[in-house]
Amino acid sequence: MSVAAAPATARPRKPAPSRLLIGGLAGVVAITVWAAIQIDFTLTPLFTDLTNGWVVIEQFLNPNWSYLGRTWSAWVETVSIAVIASFFGVAVGLLFAFMASRVTNRSGWLYQATKWFLAVLRSLPDVAYVLIFVAIVGVGSMAGILALFVFNIGIAAKLTSETIDAVDPGPLEAADAAGAGTAGRSRWAVLPQILPNYLSYALYIFELNIRASVVIGYAGGGGIGQVIQVQFARFNYENVSAIVIAMFVVVLLIDQFSQYARRRLV
Amino acid sequence: MTLPTESATARPQEPSKLRATLGALALVAIVVGGGFFANADWGSLSALFTEGWKYFGLMVQGVVQNPFAEPYSEYWLQALTGMLESIAMAWVGTLIGALLSIPLGFLAARNVAHPVVVQVTRVILNIIRTVPELIFAIILLLPIFGFGATAGALALGVGAVGTLGKLTAEALEGIDPGPVESARAVGANGAEILRWAYWTQVLPEVLAFWLYRFEINIRASAILGIIGAGGIGSILNQAFRYREWDFIGILFVVIVVVTLIVDSISGAVRHRIIAGEKAKSRDEDTASEAEALL
Repeated sequence: MSVAAAPATARPRKPAPSRLLIGGLAGVVAITVWAAIQIDFTLTPLFTDLTNGWVVIEQFLNPNWSYLGRTWSAWVETVSIAVIASFFGVAVGLLFAFMASRVTNRSGWLYQATKWFLAVLRSLPDVAYVLIFVAIVGVGSMAGILALFVFNIGIAAKLTSETIDAVDPGPLEAADAAGAGTAGRSRWAVLPQILPNYLSYALYIFELNIRASVVIGYAGGGGIGQVIQVQFARFNYENVSAIVIAMFVVVLLIDQFSQYARRRLV
Repeated sequence: MTLPTESATARPQEPSKLRATLGALALVAIVVGGGFFANADWGSLSALFTEGWKYFGLMVQGVVQNPFAEPYSEYWLQALTGMLESIAMAWVGTLIGALLSIPLGFLAARNVAHPVVVQVTRVILNIIRTVPELIFAIILLLPIFGFGATAGALALGVGAVGTLGKLTAEALEGIDPGPVESARAVGANGAEILRWAYWTQVLPEVLAFWLYRFEINIRASAILGIIGAGGIGSILNQAFRYREWDFIGILFVVIVVVTLIVDSISGAVRHRIIAGEKAKSRDEDTASEAEALL
């Protein structure tokens, strides 16, 4: 009693991979080979020089906790720099955000100009700003504040302008119908809608600024990063290690606090 | 002829603004406190307008010089070579981070791995995410690899694992369970299910994250330059040390233009991967969402 065999349809042939895929993969391989050659990428030191490095790594594994007590003022400085730079950066960023959205900026050329300006602002890394301001106002926290301030404008404006693009058009129509001008409709029809997101971005930017403080200080912008740089230059790796671990705890705490606050806002 | 007054309902009372006012006051106090504790030399702000303008003028002068005459041809060439090295560093770094993040992403996804493994992996990913790349560079650079682009690429790679792993895990958790069931129904084993039911579903999203991370790493590679990892950052740092403002101006132009070009290419590829040939609205959301997460 055999079951009638199902009509044997031939198994469909597997479609050939698309040319786009093959081209894309070839491109990726080519770029990778080029990049690896360009930077002389090699992993051999991992096997040959691990013992050389071990002396240093050993120091990292024995952090000098007593040193932390002497860095207190640098920590306060780092947080203060982040507070001021985020506050003013985010405030100015809001203005640019309104100018970088079609919803609130009805002037075509000003919109395009703002978009370009912000793209240029964002394409320079934060460390470049630190170097500029160190050259202008000298080494110290003022340079760090100014660098982060400029950097924050770019991020705040981008994130906020995208939120403005997506606002509910109802209140805008109501404001237009009631005869509100550009400023009026931005203030009363748009701002209340984006405020929770905007405040959440502000906290996020504050987090970023704390994380960036190592880089900022390293390049001469004051705060804990500067202490790391000095200790590193003096080969005091056990001090660097203690600061790095403390840094990790501080970042984690601030992230937790900020995430909690953001969840309540949005 | 007066209209009959409507039944006079009192205007509703405005809701209390106490909380908002208190919040604003607290914010002001924090900012003023910050201004006090930052040890900033506020007087030096005036230098922005005097020195700042002067330096800006010098930078512009460097840019508008004939780029084919000495020493400017040398400057442009150095800037472009440095930028290419930075891009190469970012590319290799992103690739390392991407490859490492695949297994970690699977281990951190609740619908793939055992709950204990998930927790442990997530803690590791979080630790990596909070430590800045510069720290990885300091720890990896000096002891084992010496100063150079390889160490920079490795630092970028390790730094990228945290976010990429987290995003991969989140993408895996959001997949449609249908294909998993059908794969199981036709008798696929564990590895086959992961490959054909999980990985195929998240691949476009994960590729887009990788590209996004590449864009971020280009900027981050400049940061690593200041501790001697090579690329445009090292050149920039040196130019600042000798205050060669015309060279700095050229370097800035190269950084901005090349970054914008690479960003737009990578952005276009990302959109194409996520949205396919059609649909242009959803991908924007995904992109900015990823941005907020990274």
